[in-house]
Amino acid sequence: MSEATSQSQPPAKDLIGSYFLDLWCHTSKTLAVKPETKYASEFEEEEEESPTELDTVNSSGGFSVVGPDKLSLLYPSVNLHGHDVGVAQANRAAPMKRLLYYFEIHVKNAGSKGQIAIGFTTSAFRLRRQPGWEANSYGYHGDDGMLYRGHGKGDTFGPTYTTGDTVGGGINYATQEFFFTKNGVVVGSVYKDVKGPVIPTVAVHSQNEEVTVNFGKDPFVFDLKAYEAEQRAKQQIKIDNITIPQDASYGIVRSYLQHYGYEETLKLFDIAGQSTVPPISLVPEYGFSEEDSMYALNQRRTLRQLIKSGKIDETFSTLRKWYPQTVEDDTSTICFLLHCQKFIELVRDGKLEEAIMYGRSEFEKFKKLSGFDDLVKDCAALLAYEQPSKSSVGYLLQESQRELVADAVNAMVLSTNPKLKDASLCMHSCLERLIRQVTACFLEKRSLNGDQGEAFQLSRILKSGKKG
Amino acid sequence: MSLFWIVIRQLAEIQAMATSKKVITRADWEKKLNDVKVRKEDMNKLVMNFLVTEGYVEAAEKFRLESGTEPDIDLATITDRMAVKKAVQSGNVEDAIEKVNDLNPEILDTNPQLFFHLQQQRLIELIRNGKVEEALEFAQEELAPRGEENQGFLEELERTVALLAFEDVSNCPVGELLDISQRLKTASEVNAAILTSQSHEKDPKLPSLLKMLIWVQTQLDEKASYPRINDLSTAVLEDPAV
Repeated sequence: MSEATSQSQPPAKDLIGSYFLDLWCHTSKTLAVKPETKYASEFEEEEEESPTELDTVNSSGGFSVVGPDKLSLLYPSVNLHGHDVGVAQANRAAPMKRLLYYFEIHVKNAGSKGQIAIGFTTSAFRLRRQPGWEANSYGYHGDDGMLYRGHGKGDTFGPTYTTGDTVGGGINYATQEFFFTKNGVVVGSVYKDVKGPVIPTVAVHSQNEEVTVNFGKDPFVFDLKAYEAEQRAKQQIKIDNITIPQDASYGIVRSYLQHYGYEETLKLFDIAGQSTVPPISLVPEYGFSEEDSMYALNQRRTLRQLIKSGKIDETFSTLRKWYPQTVEDDTSTICFLLHCQKFIELVRDGKLEEAIMYGRSEFEKFKKLSGFDDLVKDCAALLAYEQPSKSSVGYLLQESQRELVADAVNAMVLSTNPKLKDASLCMHSCLERLIRQVTACFLEKRSLNGDQGEAFQLSRILKSGKKG
Repeated sequence: MSLFWIVIRQLAEIQAMATSKKVITRADWEKKLNDVKVRKEDMNKLVMNFLVTEGYVEAAEKFRLESGTEPDIDLATITDRMAVKKAVQSGNVEDAIEKVNDLNPEILDTNPQLFFHLQQQRLIELIRNGKVEEALEFAQEELAPRGEENQGFLEELERTVALLAFEDVSNCPVGELLDISQRLKTASEVNAAILTSQSHEKDPKLPSLLKMLIWVQTQLDEKASYPRINDLSTAVLEDPAV
């Protein structure tokens, strides 16, 4: 969705405005599809569906019977040879964009020979053989405790299992391994030498064998969360051992405060920094000198405070007084953002009629902006509800929206600096650039890894370590 | 061309294919970066977490007002913690120990190693101030019993007492104990113990994020050639060397 296709390349000033407009559009679209989303990244990750039950479309020629709840498997007759295994696959392949996948079976009845198996197969698997007996399939067998991974001969792996046991099969995408558990304890793991999606599979092969399957609807016997934390911790140790420059974090926080105009905080932060033991000395950054980041610090702070208190008219007049070039083009994106915010503030104060009049007189001239339709629709929708904050467009009334506008104005003011060398430095703080880079790198790494494994999620970092 | 050279050339081609990496241009990479949307709220939380964990109380309070971000820990507890840290950093270990016990007497009870390090620091300060007799008395009465319980403590104790044996302490093998870095180490330990006792993570999350960046870039280097960030303080993209 590039602005360049709908109109000619916007002037440099509007590049900044367009960036923030784009950000707003993104939030609007994300929330439109899934209103309860708190984190956009969580939304993207949850798009992948998980197996929920056994598949009944591709049956294995009637050797086994899938129960009506599609979560159990029974072998009613007597088996005669090696090609009448009762196999059932899950209704979907295991999701890949995560650290681990896991499911469990419970052996209700080991039947006459206990020839049960749990494992993973591909969509090409012949559903009359035990998982592990054919190429590109893996199976942990209950009768001999062996792991079969593509040939008739298995490897010694773990204990046998029988009636009453709960056995689990899992995938660790970080280590590219399958792992299996018995009654809550890991029995072993094996390298996953299969590319592409794999499907959780169970099999039964002697008379009266019966298993039930749990794809996560019920709690697992195995403590998956603890195992996940353990696996993450292993990776974390490697990362923790990396050294970073002594005061890197301090410098980044300082530049963050400067960038967004948190003047008072910066003052106190600097004072504290000087009295630490030993006092922190920062190497001056090249490219964006101290002067540049301190540019108009007080003015930017004032403007942010105005917007955060909803005083949009005052914001306009202050901008016209101090930085007329930022708002002189009345059809620019930044003006659009400010006018929308004014509309939102009027709705917040309950002045609905005034809001409508305002919208009618101001919105028309922004028709050419991309994203205009959806965003104005969102704003207008606020009028339809008695309690707009609880509606699907309630996000407009939250602090985050004011924050967006404040950040946009902040960037615009930074761009008026005559000494500025690179306009893109106005839009993102150093911290933001670092977060974007680490996110993009993780995504690229995953994509080169067959799209398997976790992406970087800032929300997870923020939530980690919270106790109680 | 002789067979020899044909073979060499083919081997070189195979080598190149085996080590060939995906090349991502600056323009493509910037598109990928632009697809990443970072929430301002989350960045504010990271900064607040840094201010709070490192103990910048006044700055944290002001940041809460200026940004509307709620700290994830009661700011009042930070002041107490910082007073302890400062006391150790200035060499007032007795004062620090008193303050820690006022805050939470269980901290030192459940942390024998921390308590030993604090006592060791006391000893170092006595030696630094030339109070030799007092130092020896203190070492024998307070530290020796701890040393008997734990081999590691005993070794540390012996190292510390060794300071007394040298005329020119700044040049002796255990001279580093007198260095300010030793105070800082102990101060850090106390800070971490207090944070843990308050069920708070003892390290801020920001450095972790920086380490992850370095780690993932190293990992990605094996498979792709792309613009990197090599300087954390400027976060400027550098095109890959050709």
